[in-house]
Amino acid sequence: MLKFIIKRLINLIPTLFIVAAIVFIITRMIPGDPASVLLGPQASASDVHRLREQLGLNDSVFVQFIKYLNDLIHFNLGQSFAYKQPVLTLILERFPNTLILTFCAFFIALLVSIPAGVIAATRKGSWMDYLFTVTSLFGISIPVFWLGLMLVLLFSVTLGWLPATGMASSGDGALAFITHLILPSVTLSTIPMANFSRITRASMLEVMNQDYITAAKAKGVSHFFVVMKHGFKNALTPILTVAGMEVSSLLGGAVLTETIFSWPGMGQLIVEAINKRDYIVVQGSVIFLAVLYVLINLAVDILYKVVNPKISYDTKGGK
Amino acid sequence: MLKKFFALIIVACLLALTACGTNTTSSGSGKAVDGGTLKIGLSSNIASLDPIGYTSTYESNVMRSIFDTLVKYNNDNSKIVPSLAKSWTISKDNKSYTFNLRTNVYFQKGKFQKGRKMTASDVKYSLERSLNQSAMHRIRDIKKITVINNHQVKIDLDTPYAAFLPMLTDMGNAIVPKEEVKGWGDKFGMHPVGTGAFTFKKWVADSYVLVDRNSKYWGPKPHLDAVKFAIIGDPNTMSNSLASGDIDVATNLQGPSILTIKKNKNLNFVSDQGLQVSYLSFNFKSGPTKKLKVRQAIKLAMDKEDLLKGSFKYGGAKVADLPLPRASWGYDQKLADQNKTTVDVKKAKKLLKEAGYPNGFNTNVYVVPARVPIATIFQSQMKKIGINVSIKTVEWGTFSDTVSKAKAPMYIMSWSWYPDPDFFLYQMFDSKQIGSLGNGGGYQNKQLDQLLTKATADTTDQAKRKAIYGQALEIINKDIPHVNLFDQDVVYGTSKKVHGFTISPDSSITIASDQTNAWLSK
Repeated sequence: MLKFIIKRLINLIPTLFIVAAIVFIITRMIPGDPASVLLGPQASASDVHRLREQLGLNDSVFVQFIKYLNDLIHFNLGQSFAYKQPVLTLILERFPNTLILTFCAFFIALLVSIPAGVIAATRKGSWMDYLFTVTSLFGISIPVFWLGLMLVLLFSVTLGWLPATGMASSGDGALAFITHLILPSVTLSTIPMANFSRITRASMLEVMNQDYITAAKAKGVSHFFVVMKHGFKNALTPILTVAGMEVSSLLGGAVLTETIFSWPGMGQLIVEAINKRDYIVVQGSVIFLAVLYVLINLAVDILYKVVNPKISYDTKGGK
Repeated sequence: MLKKFFALIIVACLLALTACGTNTTSSGSGKAVDGGTLKIGLSSNIASLDPIGYTSTYESNVMRSIFDTLVKYNNDNSKIVPSLAKSWTISKDNKSYTFNLRTNVYFQKGKFQKGRKMTASDVKYSLERSLNQSAMHRIRDIKKITVINNHQVKIDLDTPYAAFLPMLTDMGNAIVPKEEVKGWGDKFGMHPVGTGAFTFKKWVADSYVLVDRNSKYWGPKPHLDAVKFAIIGDPNTMSNSLASGDIDVATNLQGPSILTIKKNKNLNFVSDQGLQVSYLSFNFKSGPTKKLKVRQAIKLAMDKEDLLKGSFKYGGAKVADLPLPRASWGYDQKLADQNKTTVDVKKAKKLLKEAGYPNGFNTNVYVVPARVPIATIFQSQMKKIGINVSIKTVEWGTFSDTVSKAKAPMYIMSWSWYPDPDFFLYQMFDSKQIGSLGNGGGYQNKQLDQLLTKATADTTDQAKRKAIYGQALEIINKDIPHVNLFDQDVVYGTSKKVHGFTISPDSSITIASDQTNAWLSK
């Protein structure tokens, strides 16, 4: 197992090199000059040229890439053009906010979708199965920005129960923290919620048709015990795979939710950096998320082993 | 089940919204009271609050509460009034400005000084810092800054420049304490210290900036305890936040969010004359638009009223006939009337034929996504005279790059700066600005260049300058480097408990000063 983890961590190096190279090339391919975007419409051509020189943008793309790789080797993600701060500082300021939002949304999604998926599978063909299947289809189909705005209109504007935007900061109190979190988390949870319930249903259906379930039922084991111990536990592996992928995509993909609710997270940082052509921030954020993605997938692989000890990562041992 | 519940409440919400208004608190005006935190929504993020590092209006609007400049514009931007300088004199050759500073001005307390008195040395330090270190060059042509005594400073210019005082009103030329700038280094922009009505307290990245009342402010005591500038990028979220009471002032309202505020009886909707002009600009370096007759034809085929209705259907703009906004002192109604045209497709076609394009031609118009509705209407208007326009929608970075390199055959954009005509006409039409976004079309007219230089070099008298700008406008109207489209208003909404709050035509927000003092009713 340890060997497996070390091997995966070593694999991270070429992965990151490829990610760095691709993101570097893509950012340079987008038309638009960071200096003119930063200085705004009123800047003169000489001001723009001067700033380009200061930012090192007059160097050839190859020289810029080598400098960038050199910084990366030294664990330096560079300095933002717009904020004039280290990229890592900018990321670390915002990442906890995205993490809070992601895990809250993830928790809500799991809380609702797993029981829904299990019930739908164990009562296949019933009205509850159809209800959950149809609602999960809606969950995937409803645009996040529309749902977010509707929730704001209802709970903030019309009822006045919850704040419409922003995140409570330290000093605002626990209640403010929770009330600010509810609407964005619920909005963000809809897609993973739908995905989880569909995969749980499918996975449970497959497991519940296995011979050992029939055997357990024949032995007179209670229905609940059969479903949870023999059924759900064995259906967990595909659910874990989807969960890992959902967490990874939520971390980098909460952009719309963060924009609608003015949530100060990674999504907003990246979108703004792209608009401002703040290459360094875009590159740093993508690399940060790539590392995270690889690590989460590694964690999921380790969890497979915990859930199902029969899974082996020892390549020498054959199967 | 939860999904079903949400589906039901969404339907209920939609019905409720169409049926009734909301229930935000309101109260009438009366005697100003002290206290409270005013929450203002800003539509874009803040990167730096350092005078030499800021790049946007959003940043300068926060800075306006923390810093002061030597002089400033009054609320309606009609004239320059004292700020840290209580008076000033201009030498006869218009090259030297002597400022007499207030004697009761203290810096806010910071980490590296305890709130000491501001002196002429600080003015010299701050302006030289702006001159030498600002990427934006918010001040220029200064030969020398001399400290006469603690409360008098003299600035000598290289050449006479009548728009020097407007330049000093820029937040980039705010007066800062040297100790704090040196102490914080590159991080001064995150820990700003000035002489303004409010002291910087907290900045939560991408979220908000909080400022507290400065108890040692030189002007009248601010009514408000604090001001919170909240970053809300989405326009719908901005209006929803105002309606829900999350914020007290919603700025930069656009599209349907204007309607949300207008319809809500518990909110105030304000639409005042602004300093932003929109226009269609032509390429003078290549393509058919080099020919005057083609530009004349396009102008004649354009129905500006239609364009206005299509792109500002919720209000917030007027048709423009001059490249200067109505709020600028250089605006001349007579010249605007002369420049008005009525749609004449027949004549436009004739002009195109004379220019050598009897069957029209294919071309592109560049716009940012927000201006696609204008471009679409423009496209259909051009079809009538045989010009097939393809709309190139690009976001800002690409737009500015393409336009300033004269690669756009036509483009639609807007321009806004100080009310002084120099910041519109020189920037957009002087040949020295070719290569910049202002004169991205590459327009050149020697006679106009001379007049634009004369307007700032010969005199500081506003009436005389206006006459020179009048001559310049006549040339511009004749050459048609732009078809002027709209004069955009400053549009914002407030809750009814907000009093004494205004946004100036240049979109600047001053919460408290000797000119204005906003307050919140209980």
